[in-house]
Amino acid sequence: MTSTAVTTRAEAKPAQAGKKRVAPWRNPWRRPYVLSTITWLYILWTTVPVLIAVQFSFNDGRSRSTWQGFSTQWYCCVEGSVGEDPSLLLALKNSLFLGGATVLVATPLGVALAMGLTRWRSRTSKVANGIAMVPLVTPEIVLGSALYVVMVNLYQFVPLGRPAMLLGHVTFSVSYVLVIVRSRLLSIGGDYEEAARDLGASPIQAIRTILIPLLMPSIFASAMIVFATSLDDFVVSQFLFGDASNITVPIKLYNAVRAAPTPALNALATLLLAGSFLALILAYVGLRAHRRGSRSPLDDLADYG
Amino acid sequence: MSFDPTDPAWRHRPRHRPQLSRRAFLRGGLWLGAGIGAAPLLASCNNAYPAVQSAGYPLARPNNPVRLPIRDSNPPIENGLEPETGGDFKILNYDAYMAPGIMKDFGDRHGVQVQVTPYSNYDEMLAKIRTPGESFDLVFPGPSVLSKMVYAELLQPMNHSYVPNLKNLWPEYQDPWYDRGARYTVPYTIYGTGVMYRADRVTSIPDNGYDLMWDEAYAGKVYLLDDLSEAIGMSLLRNHITKDINTGDPAFVQEATNSIIDLIGRVNVKTDVSAYSEVPEGTATIHQSWSGDPIAGQYYLPKGETPDVLGYWRPKDPKDRVIGSDNIAIPKSAAKPVLSHMMINDLLDNDIALRNFGWNGYQPPLNKLSARYLIDQGYIPENLMSAVVLPEDFDFGLTFYEVTPDIEALWRQFWAEFKAGG
Amino acid sequence: MGEQEDRHDRATRRLWPALALPGTFWLIALFLVPIYAVMAVAFSASINIFGEPVPAWNPLDWRYATFFDVVQASVTGPYQEVWIRTGVYCVVALVICVVVGFPVAYYTARLAGKRRGLILALILAPWWINYITRMLAWINLLQDDGYVNKTLGIFGIAPVDWLSGNSYTVVLALAYGYLPFFIIPLFASLDRIDQRLLEASRDLGSGSVRTFLRVTLPLSKMGLITALVITALPMAGDYYTNTLVSGSPKTNMIGNQIELFLLQGPLKHYGASLVLLLSLVLMFFMAYYLILTQRAGRDAQ
Repeated sequence: MTSTAVTTRAEAKPAQAGKKRVAPWRNPWRRPYVLSTITWLYILWTTVPVLIAVQFSFNDGRSRSTWQGFSTQWYCCVEGSVGEDPSLLLALKNSLFLGGATVLVATPLGVALAMGLTRWRSRTSKVANGIAMVPLVTPEIVLGSALYVVMVNLYQFVPLGRPAMLLGHVTFSVSYVLVIVRSRLLSIGGDYEEAARDLGASPIQAIRTILIPLLMPSIFASAMIVFATSLDDFVVSQFLFGDASNITVPIKLYNAVRAAPTPALNALATLLLAGSFLALILAYVGLRAHRRGSRSPLDDLADYG
Repeated sequence: MSFDPTDPAWRHRPRHRPQLSRRAFLRGGLWLGAGIGAAPLLASCNNAYPAVQSAGYPLARPNNPVRLPIRDSNPPIENGLEPETGGDFKILNYDAYMAPGIMKDFGDRHGVQVQVTPYSNYDEMLAKIRTPGESFDLVFPGPSVLSKMVYAELLQPMNHSYVPNLKNLWPEYQDPWYDRGARYTVPYTIYGTGVMYRADRVTSIPDNGYDLMWDEAYAGKVYLLDDLSEAIGMSLLRNHITKDINTGDPAFVQEATNSIIDLIGRVNVKTDVSAYSEVPEGTATIHQSWSGDPIAGQYYLPKGETPDVLGYWRPKDPKDRVIGSDNIAIPKSAAKPVLSHMMINDLLDNDIALRNFGWNGYQPPLNKLSARYLIDQGYIPENLMSAVVLPEDFDFGLTFYEVTPDIEALWRQFWAEFKAGG
Repeated sequence: MGEQEDRHDRATRRLWPALALPGTFWLIALFLVPIYAVMAVAFSASINIFGEPVPAWNPLDWRYATFFDVVQASVTGPYQEVWIRTGVYCVVALVICVVVGFPVAYYTARLAGKRRGLILALILAPWWINYITRMLAWINLLQDDGYVNKTLGIFGIAPVDWLSGNSYTVVLALAYGYLPFFIIPLFASLDRIDQRLLEASRDLGSGSVRTFLRVTLPLSKMGLITALVITALPMAGDYYTNTLVSGSPKTNMIGNQIELFLLQGPLKHYGASLVLLLSLVLMFFMAYYLILTQRAGRDAQ
C-alpha cells in the first residue's frame, strides 16, 4: 500500500506568463464546484435527519414530527421515558456491554489470525484466508439464520441471549479485524522482525516488542470498527436474543417503531449515539498518540478495502 | 429407491405438470399441506414426510370438550411451597397486554424483576417457548394452540391450592370446553374480533362492516391483524364463503386468501397488531382489531382528542361474531412456578383485574366485572358499546379452535403467499 | 549461529500457524458449521409434532423435496415476484449509490484539499450512527405531518403517503442506508491512485473528462467492484429496511420471507431452503470478490 501525497494542486492555478487564459470549464485545475456541492449535499442528506431526530428527542409532547416545545421529559422522568421505562435503559446497557465484550474477544482473535495467516505460507493458510473473508460478504440474514439454526439445533449448551449474541458478533467482527490488520502487516513487511531476531530476540519477543507497536494504529482502527459494527448490528441480534432481558437498542427501536413510538425512542437513539461517539473520540485520541508517518488516523480507518 | 441428483436418469424424468401455473402451485401447496412439506414435485421416491391428518390427541371443540391429561412425567408443583424471590420473572405475552403498574407492583412485592418478551402471533410464541435453554414463567396461549402445547409437555398443570381466586370466574370458565377442570389454564381475557375505525373519517358504515377494509376511499390507511387465522377467517366471513372459520377446504381458503391479496393492490393493506395505538394516532383509519383495542385506544389519543373519534364495528347477529379468549398458563420450564401461581391468583383478583382492564381494554371473565358494571364505572363510553363482550356471545359466536396439522399447514402456505405480496 | 537460526526458523514456522489457529477454529465452529446446520434443516427428513423440521445431520439422510419446492416456487410460483422485486430494488439502489457515491468519494479522495480531514470525518459519521436510528430519523421526516410533506406543501404539492407500501421509499431508504458502506472502500481505492499518473495524462494533453475516463476509472475499477459487492450482498438480504419504512406485503423482499419462515412459524425448513437459495444466487458475486481480493493480496505481497 503506497501512501499518496494529498494533492493541493487543485486549488492552485498555474500562473504562467504569456499563457492565454483557458476557459473556466476547460481548466483542469479549477475548483471542483460541482463535486464539492454534491459532496456537501450528500453530507447534509446523511446528517441532517439524524440531527432532527435528536432534536425531537427533546420534544415536549408525544409527537415525533411536530415540534411542541423543548423538554427533557423523554430522558427523565415522564412515564415511558428512558429513565422510567427499565426496558429502554436495559437495551442501552446490553448494547454497550455487548459491543465492549465483542471488541475484547474479536480484536486479539483477529490480530492473531492476521499475523498467522499473513506469515504462514502454505496452501492451508490460503484456504483459511478465503474462509475468513467470506463473513464480510455474507448477507447478515444468512449469517443470522445460520447461527440461529445451529444454536437451537446443535449448540444447545449455548443459551440464546448474551452468550449466543457475543459469539455471533465476534464471528462477523473477526473478518473486519483480519482485513484491516493484514493490510497493515503487508505494508510493514518482515524487515523489522528480522532485524530484531538478528539481534537475538525470540520470535515471540519480536512480535511483542516490534510488531504489535507497529500495528497499534490498525489495532485501534479495527477495535473502533468492531465496536461500531457490534452496536449497529440488528439481524444477528434479532435472531439470537431469545427473550426480553437481552434486547439491544436496534431491536428495541425496531419493535417499538412498529408498535407505539414516542420520542423516548429518539432519546434512546441519541444516548446510543452519544455512547458510540464517546468511544470514537477515545479511540481517535488513542490513535493519534500512536500515529506513525504522515497518514491521518482517519485514513487508516477508511482504508480497510 | 434413493433420489440421486447426479443420476442422469432423474434429469430426464418427465414432470407431471409441464407448466407450473399458480393454481398448479397451490394444488402443489395442498399436497404440501397433506404431506407437510413432502410429496416432492419432482417425484423422489422417498416418502419424506408421512401425511399427518390426525393430531394424535383429541382436539377440543365447544361441543366436544376435553380433559387434558396430567402425566407423571409432568406433575404440578407441591402444596405449601414458599414463593421464589430475586432475579427475573419472565413473561411471554403480547405487547402492551398487561398493565406495567401491575407488573411493577408484583415485582416489588416479591423482589423480582418482571420482564415481558413480546410476540405478535402464536407462531412467534411457540417458536420462543420451544427454544432450548429458554425458560418463561408465564405464557398466554389461546384454545387453538393449547392441546398441542400440553401434549408436547410445554406447560405444567396448575396446583389450585395457590389460586383461591378461581371462584371469581364466570362458571363457564371455571370448567371450559378446551380445558375441563381448569387443569392447565385460567382465562385471562375474553374478546371479539371486529373492525376498529376513525369515526371522524368514516362517512358511513355498510351493513357488512368488513367491507370497510375493501373501500378504496381509505387506501393507505387500512390494516389487517397480523394473525393468519383472524385475517383469512375474516375474509371467509366477509365474502360469505363459509361460516366455518376453521375450514380445511382448500378451495375456500384459497378464495379467502385471494380476497385479502386483492387488498394489497386495492388499498395497500398492511398488517400488525397495534390497532390500539394506530387508530387513535391517526396512522390507521380502518384496522381489523380485537374488541379490547378501541377501549385501550382511549389512552393513546393525542392531546385534545376525545374518544368520540373512535368506533368499533362487529356483526349485528351474535351468531356471526368471532369471539375468543386468551388464557394464562405456566410453562413447564418455569424457573419460579410458585410466583407464577401467585401472579395468576393476582390477575383473578377483582381489583387488580379491573385495573388491568382499565389499561389494556380487554374484559376479564370475572363475575363482579360484568359489562354493566364496567359501563357504569365509566370505562366504556357510549360510542364503544359494541366493543363489550357478553356471556351470551359465547353461547352463539364463532371461535377458532385447534385443527389438524395438515389443515394448519394449508392455512400457513396461503398466508405465506399473502405475505409474499401475492 | 547456524543451529540457533535453525531453531528460530522452526519456532517461527510453528508460531504462525499457532497464532492463526484460534481464529480459524472459531470461524469453522461458528461460520462453517452453522452453514452446514442450515443445510441440515433445509434438507431435513422428518417433522415433529409442531410441524418443525428435525435437522438431518447425516448427508445420507438428506431429502431435497422442500428445497426443490422452494426453487419451483421461486422460479415459477408466488416467490418469483419477491425475487424479482428484490433484484430490482437492489439494482436501482446501487445505481443511486454509484451516482451519488462516486462523486463524493472522488472529491474526498482527491480534491478536498485543506478540508479533507473534516469531510472525511463527516462521511464516516453515518457509519457510527446506528442504521436503525438513521431509518428512524427518515421515518420521522416522512410521516404524514413530517417535514418532507410540509416542504412539499410549501410548493403546493399534496402530501404524499410515503410510509405505506411505497416502493420509492424502500429503494431510497436502501440507498440511504447503504451509501456509507459503499463510499468507504471506493474512497480508499481512489485515494491510492497515484496523482502523478493523472498529471502525466494531463501533461500529455488529455482534458479532464478524458483523463477521468481513460486513467482514473480503470484504476479505480477494483475499488468500485469491491464497493459494489460489499454493498449489494447485504442489501439483497435486507428485510428490516422494508419493514420499517413500509409495512406492506407489496414491497416485501426475499429477506422478509426468510424472516417470516424462520422466526414466525414452524416451517423452518422453508426458511432454511430460501437462505440456501439466496446464498447460491449471491455465491457468484461472493466468489468473484474473493478471487479479486486473493489476487490483490498476492499482488501486494
